[in-house]
Amino acid sequence: MLKINGLVKKYGDFTLDCTMEVRKGCITGLVGENGAGKSTTFKAALGLISYDAGEISLLGKEPAALTEKDKEKLGVTLAESGFSGYLKVKDIVPVLNAMYPEFDRSGFLNLCRKFGVPLDKYIKEFSTGMKAKLKVLAAITHNADFLIMDEPTTGLDVMARDRILNLFREYMEEDENRSILISSHISSDLEGLCDDIYMIHNGQIILHEETDVLLNEYGLIKADENQYRKLEKEFILRVRKETFGYACLTSQKQYYMENYPDLVVEKGSLDEVITMMIGGEKL
Amino acid sequence: MKGLMIKDAKLLKNQGKLLAVMLVVVAGIMYFATDVNAMFIVGYITIIFAMFTATTISYDGFDNCYLFLMTLPVTRKKYVNEKYLFAMITILIAWCVSMVIATLVMISGKEREPLEMWIGENVCFIFVAWVFTSVMLPVRLKFNAEKARYANLIAMGCVLAVVDIVYQIGKMFPAEMRSNIIDYLNGTGAAGFILICGAVAVAAGVISYLSSRHIMARKEF
Repeated sequence: MLKINGLVKKYGDFTLDCTMEVRKGCITGLVGENGAGKSTTFKAALGLISYDAGEISLLGKEPAALTEKDKEKLGVTLAESGFSGYLKVKDIVPVLNAMYPEFDRSGFLNLCRKFGVPLDKYIKEFSTGMKAKLKVLAAITHNADFLIMDEPTTGLDVMARDRILNLFREYMEEDENRSILISSHISSDLEGLCDDIYMIHNGQIILHEETDVLLNEYGLIKADENQYRKLEKEFILRVRKETFGYACLTSQKQYYMENYPDLVVEKGSLDEVITMMIGGEKL
Repeated sequence: MKGLMIKDAKLLKNQGKLLAVMLVVVAGIMYFATDVNAMFIVGYITIIFAMFTATTISYDGFDNCYLFLMTLPVTRKKYVNEKYLFAMITILIAWCVSMVIATLVMISGKEREPLEMWIGENVCFIFVAWVFTSVMLPVRLKFNAEKARYANLIAMGCVLAVVDIVYQIGKMFPAEMRSNIIDYLNGTGAAGFILICGAVAVAAGVISYLSSRHIMARKEF
């Protein structure tokens, strides 16, 4: 669905250097802090900005070569952008109807009612959460093959977030050839949804892993000075000095559990992996 | 493009209703309270409303809406095409509405003009409105709403400066040549004058459209 190879985009001191892929039938997550380069990656992938080097293939074409017909197969939400605030949802319905031949008008209106999105109110008067819901509902109701979702859950409360993530799951269940690229700085959103996750930091992809592997095989070792000295370092990805000694991120949790029974090896969560990958030192 | 047209029509409906009423009221007050003729109503409503249609670009620019619009099934070329088509349609609608109002006002008053003359004179306002729009559209595409306000004033100033320069250059030509040109223009009559206005409007439209395409093709969102 999407292949980004050696994408380079420079903004003053910031340089984005990204290589990633979203496969057919998969939900791929892009996680990183604010300003890490997530939105820039999305904009480049959609042909909204130029780039200095690299290749991007979206639905088999360069983003700039995408036709209106190709774009009908995309459902997009962007973190900082949406429909004009001077329109109402009831104004948007005929717009979407005219733009997307497969727009599910009644499905969209039903979802608006279900999610409490008012039809007869200017969007500029919406709360952040309402705007986020509207963007997602518009993106998933025209039978798109590929959803590109930049921070779709920002501004949503826990309950609404859960319901939106369920919509994505239902969307994927309807057709096995569909794909989603989703970014978030809320890692728990991605943990339970994505097949694989890319981690971006300061414009660089610092980790790519299958979510199952990340959750089952990554672990956090807590070792005192003595234990750390004796530790096999080959499978240690990052180390951070702590008050008790060292916290070590490993991608071979099982190895350390079997060979170092005295060590505390905790199950890796995405938050811990992110914290260690960004805050820890590489050996 | 149909979707974009609907969007702009909805924006105009939501935001332009008050303006339309105000234009009609102000035009009416000006007509009855001052000594302007019925043609003023057509010119005033057509030109001001045409300038307002160019601001639909600014509405697209608020809150980065551009960015999102370009992810919809819309190409940059089609976006520009739609803006020009939309402006053309709204100018024609504003002109037709104002013509009906002005004609009713004229008939109900003392003014009388032959029908051909009345329509012919007022057709020129379509061209004037189009030239204004042609200046505004690329400026609005190039700059954000805040900068565009100043840029529009500068652009209009440039147009006036060009007119003045042409006038000054014209004065350098020998008097005989100038009088020949003026005689020729006078000889063309009303139809000729409308044709010249039309040609200027077409030229402005073509230059403006090509500039807008160029600006949009290179725009970073």
